Amino acid sequence: MSIELKNIHFSYGKVKALEGIDLSLSEGAVGLLGPNGAGKSTLLRILLGFLSPDRGEGRVLGYDIKQEQSFIRRYVGYMPEDDCLIPGMDAVSFTSYFGELSGMPRQEAMKRAHEVLFYVGLGESRYRLLETYSAGMKQRLKLAQAIVHDPKLLFLDEPTSNLDPQGRKEILELIEDITSKRDIQVLISSHILPDIESTCSYVVILNKGRLAAQGKISELKEITYRLYEIKVKGEEERFLEKLKRMGCKVDETEDKLIKVYMPSHQDLMEIFRVALEEKIQIRHFVKSQTSLEDLFAKTVGVD
Amino acid sequence: MTAVIETRNLSKWYGNVLGLSDVSLQVEPGITGLLGPNGAGKSTFLKLITGQIKPSIGKVFIKGQRVRNNYSLFSKIGFCPEQDSFYEEITGWEFLTNLLKLYHYSPSEIKTRAEQALSIVELLKDKDRLIRAYSRGMRQRLKFAQAIAHTPEIFILDEPLNGLDPLGKRKIIRLIKDYKGEGKTIIVSSHILPEIEAMTKNIILIHQGKIFAKGDIHYIRDLIETHPHMILIKCTNPRLLASKFIHEDYVVNVNFGATADSLLVETKNRDKFFSLLPSLLIENNIEVEEITSPDDNLQAVFDYLVGK
Amino acid sequence: MMIREKGYTHWDGILRERRYPWWPITRLGIKLTFKRKHFKFLFFGSLVPAVAYLAGIYISERIEDFRYILRGSQRFLQINPAYFKSYFTSDFLLFMMVMILVFCGAGLISDDLKYNSLQLYFSKPLRKKDYFLGKASVIFFFLLMLTLVPGIVFFVMKLIFSGSFQFLRTYPWLLLSVIGYSALVTIFFSFYTLLISSLSKNRRYVGILIFAIYIFSDIFFGIFFGIFKNQYFSLLSLKGNLQQVGALFFGQKPPFQVPWLYSFFILLCVCFLASAILKKKIKGVEVIK
Repeated sequence: MSIELKNIHFSYGKVKALEGIDLSLSEGAVGLLGPNGAGKSTLLRILLGFLSPDRGEGRVLGYDIKQEQSFIRRYVGYMPEDDCLIPGMDAVSFTSYFGELSGMPRQEAMKRAHEVLFYVGLGESRYRLLETYSAGMKQRLKLAQAIVHDPKLLFLDEPTSNLDPQGRKEILELIEDITSKRDIQVLISSHILPDIESTCSYVVILNKGRLAAQGKISELKEITYRLYEIKVKGEEERFLEKLKRMGCKVDETEDKLIKVYMPSHQDLMEIFRVALEEKIQIRHFVKSQTSLEDLFAKTVGVD
Repeated sequence: MTAVIETRNLSKWYGNVLGLSDVSLQVEPGITGLLGPNGAGKSTFLKLITGQIKPSIGKVFIKGQRVRNNYSLFSKIGFCPEQDSFYEEITGWEFLTNLLKLYHYSPSEIKTRAEQALSIVELLKDKDRLIRAYSRGMRQRLKFAQAIAHTPEIFILDEPLNGLDPLGKRKIIRLIKDYKGEGKTIIVSSHILPEIEAMTKNIILIHQGKIFAKGDIHYIRDLIETHPHMILIKCTNPRLLASKFIHEDYVVNVNFGATADSLLVETKNRDKFFSLLPSLLIENNIEVEEITSPDDNLQAVFDYLVGK
Repeated sequence: MMIREKGYTHWDGILRERRYPWWPITRLGIKLTFKRKHFKFLFFGSLVPAVAYLAGIYISERIEDFRYILRGSQRFLQINPAYFKSYFTSDFLLFMMVMILVFCGAGLISDDLKYNSLQLYFSKPLRKKDYFLGKASVIFFFLLMLTLVPGIVFFVMKLIFSGSFQFLRTYPWLLLSVIGYSALVTIFFSFYTLLISSLSKNRRYVGILIFAIYIFSDIFFGIFFGIFKNQYFSLLSLKGNLQQVGALFFGQKPPFQVPWLYSFFILLCVCFLASAILKKKIKGVEVIK
């Protein structure tokens, strides 16, 4: 278990930020979601060892979150949301500098900094001054300094904000590669749900200081068996009529998406048989699931 | 439909730095997504159509009138910029009401409009706090409020969802769709392609100062001949299925998934492939779990047209 | 035979706590300072008095050889605590030290505030103490090069040139004075600089303040003294306070008729104020917003 929290409470003065948080996470990518003000930053601060919880206890990477905070910070990589750099440095010096501050010997930090900069795609520009870097490059630099000391736990705070579509794609690919080996715990906090969906298998949703939901995305998203979303091309009137006559409930939504509910006595492939008869092309055929967005809205309790 | 916004040979240079080059297009009512890499010319384009800067060559028309210095037109346009710069020492309410005064509304009307706009963006309870105390999401919502308070007909929104949490994004997207239903014209510029897709199918892609694509995402995808369409099929016995269509000449490529239950087909002719598919499935007793088109989306269109 | 796989690779080293966790910060600060334009020129310029005084020590030993240059200046070249004091509390040296502070110290904290790098520092196993110590050590380095190092060199060279330990026997406490005064000036200026650096995000503005506060404190003293003719106004001037305390360390007559305790107290107050403000300012920075 990389992260174990039991009954964590925290208040800023009178304002309750976290109440009764129990969390248990092991390797893989976890998405941390929640409306603004839900307590995400407070939770991250406690996990990073900056704040001691008022009540409750926990361990991060095996270290106690109250007593062994500096150990936690040694083995954790943090990629902040805001751009950060040190003027006058180039990428190699910057990355190895923070590697040293994590506890790497100087030569090792330098060696690893080069490797990591190539990995994130800044290999060619690693000797340039940081002030000349574009937004996408700064983002990758932040990722580089977060992984230079080979952390066991990685926090990424809004890793894809302020990037153009290309940059977003590249950062997401890097994140997927890092999580693919499943030996680093990655915690991603983001408001961009499609990104969470493509990189994380597990999700933690906070709301008003409490845990609103926690679990594998695939399990939380209710798959409604027998409800399918299809898109077709061709003369659909008769096709849909036939389906209805078979006992299916048919519903056409905006964007030409058709929802078909198959009664249990019907074989699924009947849809294709009917399509064959009516010379209909079925171009999209997916089991209906709640989207992450709907899941979020449902758990956070708003419409 | 007549064009609401029209540009003719629009070009803009800053010294010898290219902003926009020879852009002629028409924007109709409804939601149009504007996308492009950084430095492509999107902000230049938006500044030109809102009349903030003068074109080097070409003209911009809104509803048939020239835009530049046409103050009567400005009251019909609502602009939500990307940058975040406010007067920090005033309250949200003061900010909004002062802006509304510029439209020559009566004091009572200003009050009504401001209240309405703030309640739509859910900032009504924080209206008397200083802007300096606002969080990022609140600032974004205030920016949005000032774009809608004077009920414009045309909305120009640059990264309107930036900084909002998923629920806030949902609300704003719904609002924008409501405006579309009312017949308004909205241009939304964003880097987050899934969010544009959630709002509209109609896009303008700018790259290197030029229009690389305009229109419906799926039609554009069809036009990209260099990349055959990908179709992902999850089924029992994918290899058997593949063996049945592999001799068709419009099937360009077949890849088998890592798990033994999927295959990825690339084809130049989707009509022929999809017409053939149901019969192949039925004849060979293959059960289908899923059929999707992984690259029939905006990200793919972007990558194919712009990507390296 | 092997190939290297693309993709993320691990590092198989051990992360350990350094003996001086703040050392990379200091090293970086010194490196960045030397990169600044004109700094080397300034730095070597500020070493000129040290060289001159060292030459003086040499000359004083060989006074016969140089008598023809020094007609009538014999009294000037007595190497005694007054000689040391005149080096350490000279207007020129103090001024050069402030200029060096502008170069090495102005950006120390203000750049971190401006470019948000505090978040990165504190997400590492670095205590606040280490951060400040690392930053202050940058200033220590440069100022001690101008005070402690020349002082020790003077002392040792005097012994070498005179060929005997007579000097040490005459003034056994002199070395301690050198160390003590160097420490005082360095620590005071460090607090002073770090305080101002933490007040603004703009390095230029901080640099101007570092310089201006020092100069204007002296100018105000001059103005008030000119009007009221009261020596107590020397307490307004940072330079004056330093010179008062410096004179005390070297056992010389203080330049102003003011008890040296007051000057010392003022310097101490600045240090405490700085320490309180720095603690508050940096505590207020949240690593995660």
